[in-house]
Amino acid sequence: MKKVAILGFGAAGYHGAQGVRMTDAEAVIDVYTDTAFGPHNPMLTTYYAKNALPYQGMFPYGSLEEVQERLNLQVFRASPVAELKTAEKAIRTAGGRTAWYDSILIATGASAFVPKIPGAGLPGVFSMRTEADARYLKERLESGAVRSGLVVGISWSGIKVAENFAQRGIPCTLMNRSAQAFSHALFPETAERVLAHFQERGLQISLGKTLQRIEQGADGGLSAFTRDGQQLTADIIVMTSGIRPNLDFLSTEDICTEGGLLVDPHMETCVPGIYAAGDCCAAYDIFTGTQKNIALWMNSVEQGRVAGVNMAGGSARFRGNLPVSLGHCLGLDFLSVGDPSAAVPTGRVYEYADKQLYIRAARNGRKLHCINVIGAAECSGAIKNAFIKSIEAPDAALSIQTACLLRSQGFPDDFIKFLGGKHLD
Amino acid sequence: MKYVFTFDEDRCSACGACRMGCIDQNDIDIESGESCFRRTYEDEIELKDGGLYCVYLSAACMHCENAPCIDACPAGCIKKDQETGFTVYDNTNCIGCKSCALACPFGAPVFRKSDGKMVKCDGCNIRVKNGLKPACVRACSFGALDCVAEADFNASEGGKACSQLLKNLGLQKYS
Repeated sequence: MKKVAILGFGAAGYHGAQGVRMTDAEAVIDVYTDTAFGPHNPMLTTYYAKNALPYQGMFPYGSLEEVQERLNLQVFRASPVAELKTAEKAIRTAGGRTAWYDSILIATGASAFVPKIPGAGLPGVFSMRTEADARYLKERLESGAVRSGLVVGISWSGIKVAENFAQRGIPCTLMNRSAQAFSHALFPETAERVLAHFQERGLQISLGKTLQRIEQGADGGLSAFTRDGQQLTADIIVMTSGIRPNLDFLSTEDICTEGGLLVDPHMETCVPGIYAAGDCCAAYDIFTGTQKNIALWMNSVEQGRVAGVNMAGGSARFRGNLPVSLGHCLGLDFLSVGDPSAAVPTGRVYEYADKQLYIRAARNGRKLHCINVIGAAECSGAIKNAFIKSIEAPDAALSIQTACLLRSQGFPDDFIKFLGGKHLD
Repeated sequence: MKYVFTFDEDRCSACGACRMGCIDQNDIDIESGESCFRRTYEDEIELKDGGLYCVYLSAACMHCENAPCIDACPAGCIKKDQETGFTVYDNTNCIGCKSCALACPFGAPVFRKSDGKMVKCDGCNIRVKNGLKPACVRACSFGALDCVAEADFNASEGGKACSQLLKNLGLQKYS
């Protein structure tokens, strides 16, 4: 009888357990989690805070007890793993439990990155990742005592926090270290349009500012000081500058890491029998052909399941990461597929704008580098799929259905041609 | 018994009757801007040889075997109906994030402005469970659309071709 361990129990851990169970009904599955909750989706925190979701909705697969029973798991709750002995495939928990396994899935996820600056630990300064963060934001905003907010980091979670302020009519500033927001996903022209939309709906934008320290006044109000001498005041400050993989319990001498645990398409690390999935791993990216950490819910789900199937003796392969994001905030949808920084000066750029749609895309020869679209979320999957097709089969045309869908939704013919869809197969 | 939708493009004139059936069955308020779950296309697409291909097409959710929208939904709203095989949903906890739309190559999930939630074709699951044809199939006067038992479909040549397409798109379950 196989005995497997799953370290961490978010999307990757849950689907890892599901992958093992659907492949091997008899396997012993031990789950180690540092919480007492069911698998939690960090993306849902801001939706709970703005009352778009009930509390239980943050746990899409149910409570820990329900999941435990459904998948026949042995769960060690509030038992973070303190050490992983890779050669022995053994774990030791912070509580002192030691156990040996046939295979282990590392699915410890990631934590919010908080810069180590004076005042980062003050009351009212927090990040937005956990169930506790969600409850705190909601409580503070509903207290009526918050008159202003500062969000440090224009990220996918940062804009959703800012949306919470805006929808309650509370003044909020979005601060960003880089002079361009979403530089990893959006062209400068797209980012300008997105930020202009936010500003029209009351958000203040402050770009190119590096937070140096935070101080608290006698009245409890917070002051954020930037490196260039600017002072911003707020009642709460939310740090949303990105995330970092949770790998502190690992010795990097024992396992290969580079921005995350490096894994092959079977989600196995460089140590046989040790797998990794989700926000803590760096899986193959079909766009660059290299291993990259791309922390997306859907990646975690797929990677976890692939790892679980393989751990139980089955055969599954992860199709690959792709840099893709669909932001939606204050009534605006904006899609990015690919990497804008990959665009080269000698390449072709496509741009289109009308009242409802904005498109900017870049390609070099046969390869699409990046597509940004504002205002057509319902076509985002078709565009993403066309992008994938351009990588996997550059000479193939769009399907009839894709071409018709895009045309019917107002995409101009020259964009469809730019995608490579001029002709039928 | 699981079911699949079939479509014979040679019989389709893009008359839109299937859309009418869908709108009626699902109480879709087109006038207020809601989108029908089924789309019809009457279009001309340029061919490699310079000619034009006249398209008459009716399309909705493909009810993929390994539906990517299920994995993509962060709130766990979408699932497979074990009886019919259709991709169904309960959007009580839908946050309108459109992750399902980003996952779907066919543009099936649509955003409903009135409540800020995503909606899609559920194969007229309740009708099929009660022995009826889906509303779009019922409305198709030319026999272009049908809904048949999966076993019968898989045995047909069209079924084999469709299975290959889904395999190419990575929309089939693990073997």
